[in-house]
Amino acid sequence: MAELVIHILNGISYGMILFLLASGLSFIIGVMGILNLTHGSLYMIGAYVGLTLAGMGGNFWLAALAGGVITAVIGLILERTFFRFLYKQINEQVLLTLGFVYIFSNLALWVWGPFPKIASAPTYLAHSIAIGSFSFPVYRFALIVIGLIIGAGMWWFQERTKIGAIVRAGMDDKEMTMGLGINYGIIASSTLCLGAFLGGLAGFLGAPILGAQSDMGFPILLLTLVVIVVGGEGSVEGALVGALLVGIIDAFGRAFFPDLAMFTVYAILIAFLLVKPSGLFGRR
Amino acid sequence: MGGDRVMNTRPDKDAVKNGKAKKTGVVAGLILLGVLLVALPPFMNPYGESMITQILIFSVFAMGLNIVVGYTGLFSMGHAAFFGVAGYTAGIMMVHYGIESFWIIAPASIVLATLFAALFGIISLRVSGLYFLFVTLALGELLHSVAWKWRSMTGGADGLTGIPYPSLGLPFIMNATHFYYLVLIIFVVCVGLLYRIVKSPFGSALQGIREDEHRMRHLGYNTWMYKYLAFIIAGFFSGISGMLFASFANVMAPEHLGVHTATLAVLMIILGSDRVFFGPIIGAAIVLFLQYYASTFAPERWPLILGAVFVLSVMFLRGGISAHLIKLWNKMGSHHASTKT
Repeated sequence: MAELVIHILNGISYGMILFLLASGLSFIIGVMGILNLTHGSLYMIGAYVGLTLAGMGGNFWLAALAGGVITAVIGLILERTFFRFLYKQINEQVLLTLGFVYIFSNLALWVWGPFPKIASAPTYLAHSIAIGSFSFPVYRFALIVIGLIIGAGMWWFQERTKIGAIVRAGMDDKEMTMGLGINYGIIASSTLCLGAFLGGLAGFLGAPILGAQSDMGFPILLLTLVVIVVGGEGSVEGALVGALLVGIIDAFGRAFFPDLAMFTVYAILIAFLLVKPSGLFGRR
Repeated sequence: MGGDRVMNTRPDKDAVKNGKAKKTGVVAGLILLGVLLVALPPFMNPYGESMITQILIFSVFAMGLNIVVGYTGLFSMGHAAFFGVAGYTAGIMMVHYGIESFWIIAPASIVLATLFAALFGIISLRVSGLYFLFVTLALGELLHSVAWKWRSMTGGADGLTGIPYPSLGLPFIMNATHFYYLVLIIFVVCVGLLYRIVKSPFGSALQGIREDEHRMRHLGYNTWMYKYLAFIIAGFFSGISGMLFASFANVMAPEHLGVHTATLAVLMIILGSDRVFFGPIIGAAIVLFLQYYASTFAPERWPLILGAVFVLSVMFLRGGISAHLIKLWNKMGSHHASTKT
């Protein structure tokens, strides 16, 4: 029983990292129609930037924020110099952002070296508590709380504020929204910045349990895409439910069928795309 | 745009004459290139020979894939799956079962790859657009993880090593030059087949689907079947290419099934031009030359260079290099013609 609880908690805390990534990317896809495959790379960069700052003696939470801010700036630069020329051209977006995946991961390899690094959680969260005969790191609880707070904030923002209403309107009918005299370009750019920020933040927040490595961007991007497909694009609650589902299934898969770890996740993706391509909470 | 096209199709004596001249020019160029490719090996060092072999192998992959990506307009990120299935099949037959006859290996691996394409096609063509891309990506990665885990057969992450050249049953032992000629013959046959496909009514229907699927459906075309056949045909050529690649590289690795190899082929198409029949060959040549020089001078920076090629070809080489070359050629041609008259 206690073992089951551990796996579920592991799955939920990993799911929170996936949620931060997926909610951001899901809005980038929904609002801008940009399939940003560099999202995983931004996660990787956030982790490394945070690690570097924390290594220089910086505060853990400030390092995480700084990682997010830097990735938000990178996201903005990418959007202004490249993405804005490629609206509605999915094939070109895929090739361009995939090119940047190669570039970023090679640059990270250059700067930070080939060996995985791991961050240490702040000292007051670095201990473990006992669940049955197992010990469970407190930091994972902190991750769950942070994820839920950010999730609640995003839900409130999307459902209860005027900008959130514009975002929702834009996802449903972009032309009509712009026809109402709304400057949708700024909304779209801000969405990309926010998404990139959350991605970078997730990178360093996840670093105490997942570490940082130059080629970790693409595998986590695939998981993020699975979450978006399962949850449905452009929906906070969809991203949360999808992330928890994928996180828990992944945790159980690793524990009980280690040979089939990624296999199970791809199987879910394919099954969902075939049976319910709009996802659990999709707008379409 | 539409108006221009109508103007251009109006019969024009000069244009017809120009077109004919251009056609003979192209044919002459092809014959010259063919003679060169046949006569070259004795004068080349092993590197050059292996380079051209590799370009020919990947050209078959990229041109075949272009049936789906360029002509039908479906962005598949999963056709490396069929390249890899054929390569692994050929490799496993030779390494684990000692079957070395080309006449058994080639049909077996290509048929298996085509069957996989037939299966994956049914799955991925149930959805369209972004989701088609995701499904093809996931299916390819699924096989990637199978190759990764199935160590006893595939060698896992280290790859399946020691794949020899197939034997043709002829009284000599295959060496690199013989293999070059084998690849050249298969390449020529494939290009011929692809040309027939592209220029057939079937090929035109695919382009019609790319431009306006709705209209094609209302004209009575079973567009799903056309897309499905295009998907399988591309899988067939990916299989041929993968089967040859296994012997060329002596090794198959899980990444040959996954998104990395699949997008490399798409890059060759886009870089060379997806709207020009021979475009993917030029793309393959450029990518592989760059890879060769990068692996000589800065192997650890190859992903960086590759990434930059992706970015540059999307941002600055819209339509592909071949399209720009053809434009240049036409400009020179028309200039030439105008000075004559």
